[in-house]
Amino acid sequence: MASWIRLAWLIAAKDLRVELRSKTALLSSLVFAALVLVVFNFARDASLVSSTVLAPSVLWITIAFAAVIALNRAFNLERENASMSGLLLAPISRGVIYVGKFLANLAFVAAVELVTLPLFVLFFNVDIWDSLGGLLGVMALASIGFVAVGTIFSAMVVKTRFAELMLPVLLLPFMVPPLIGAVQVTTRLLSGRPLSEMLGWLRLLAVYDVVFVTLCVMVFPALVDE
Amino acid sequence: MNSELASARRIIRLGFALTAIALIAVAGVYVRALMYTPIEVRQGAAQKIFYVHAPAAWAALMAFSVVGIVSALYLWLKDPRLDLFAASSAEVGLAFSVVMLTTGPIWGKPVWGTWWTWDARLTLTLMIFLLFLGYLTLRAALSDPSERARFSAVVGILGLVLVPFIHLSVYLFRTLHPAPILLKPSKPSLPDSMLATLLYALATFTLLYIGFVTTRYGLARAVAAQSGREGTDA
Amino acid sequence: MPSTPDNAGYMIAAYVITVVVYVGYTISLWRRARLLLRSEDD
Repeated sequence: MASWIRLAWLIAAKDLRVELRSKTALLSSLVFAALVLVVFNFARDASLVSSTVLAPSVLWITIAFAAVIALNRAFNLERENASMSGLLLAPISRGVIYVGKFLANLAFVAAVELVTLPLFVLFFNVDIWDSLGGLLGVMALASIGFVAVGTIFSAMVVKTRFAELMLPVLLLPFMVPPLIGAVQVTTRLLSGRPLSEMLGWLRLLAVYDVVFVTLCVMVFPALVDE
Repeated sequence: MNSELASARRIIRLGFALTAIALIAVAGVYVRALMYTPIEVRQGAAQKIFYVHAPAAWAALMAFSVVGIVSALYLWLKDPRLDLFAASSAEVGLAFSVVMLTTGPIWGKPVWGTWWTWDARLTLTLMIFLLFLGYLTLRAALSDPSERARFSAVVGILGLVLVPFIHLSVYLFRTLHPAPILLKPSKPSLPDSMLATLLYALATFTLLYIGFVTTRYGLARAVAAQSGREGTDA
Repeated sequence: MPSTPDNAGYMIAAYVITVVVYVGYTISLWRRARLLLRSEDD
């Protein structure tokens, strides 16, 4: 049991090391996140719309877009290095390869989120200390959901000519349930609502994650094997 | 190879025959809905859009389910004809989605005062449309037939599993649509003549779906038969 | 008793769009079939 986890980590670590050397995916997402936050800050009229109402949506729009950028770049790196074919020759279960890719992408997206959060606190003047644990939790739950599907799709679109365009088109419907749930939970967290009001949404996010990670592990072999 | 093309021709002919019958039936629905079904007092004539919108939505959802289920069968059985059938259902589903997405707002504006609401059903119709579009665009962007079949099958399956989640999340969020009027345990809230028109429309559009898919599938088989003979990709 | 709203225009628009899409799609299928099968008979 432990050996496949180790294998997945190895695969993930390799991807992360490659990315850390070039840093392009991470940097583009971060710049994008900062840009979106700045624009939103100037776009709203502070007297009309309070930041507590707007903030959760802005946070999650930023995360969503930055995640798509990160996902796109991650697999382009793959194509440029053609390392997937090497991986496939090794006697590793396809599911393990998927989990490795998924973990690497999750790490990218998590890095983007962890930098977006302080920027968000800074620009929107929101107090997140009391709800920090919950915020990190819902960020993890939602991210797992769309990174799972995003990993599958980025593996597909990398074979097409319009990869950067195709990924958002395919992924958008799949981001809807995690995003709705995430915004709902974030709103309640920031307003200090009790946990009972969020349980339904958290359950939805959790079920979504379990279902789609399982499904993606099952269909990944169809992507790479004839 | 010749017999393959002959089969395809037969399927196309059958498809067109069914489509023709269905289109005539649609004309019948139009006559019945427009002339022989009473106007709903509070909503006015626009309520009758329901008789073309709801069956289109039903057909689109049916087409979508077929894509998902047949995609799963394809990945399991590897028969390329299953892939062709799934793709056909997707294209037909797109056509029904277009009707669904246009008639929905046209119905919404006079009856609820707004072109669009992000409620459970309308959002689902938009998502299904986007999923069909994504599925077909992906197919168009992949030139290797095996890749095309496998990749779109994955999209089909993932998409089908997604539908209940979208419905649930948006429904939890809010609902503006009227409560389902056919699924009440006692008597449906529609008066009998309207119910009859609706059921007639549902049956007709189902037949139209079958006609369209059969024809499209026959076409796909014919293309495959041709490219097989010439040894090139269609 | 409020009067029944006069919104038949919307109804006509919807019914027209519907039939245009279905007939249009049928024609598309027909033309593609003709193109494909005619080239076969050459």
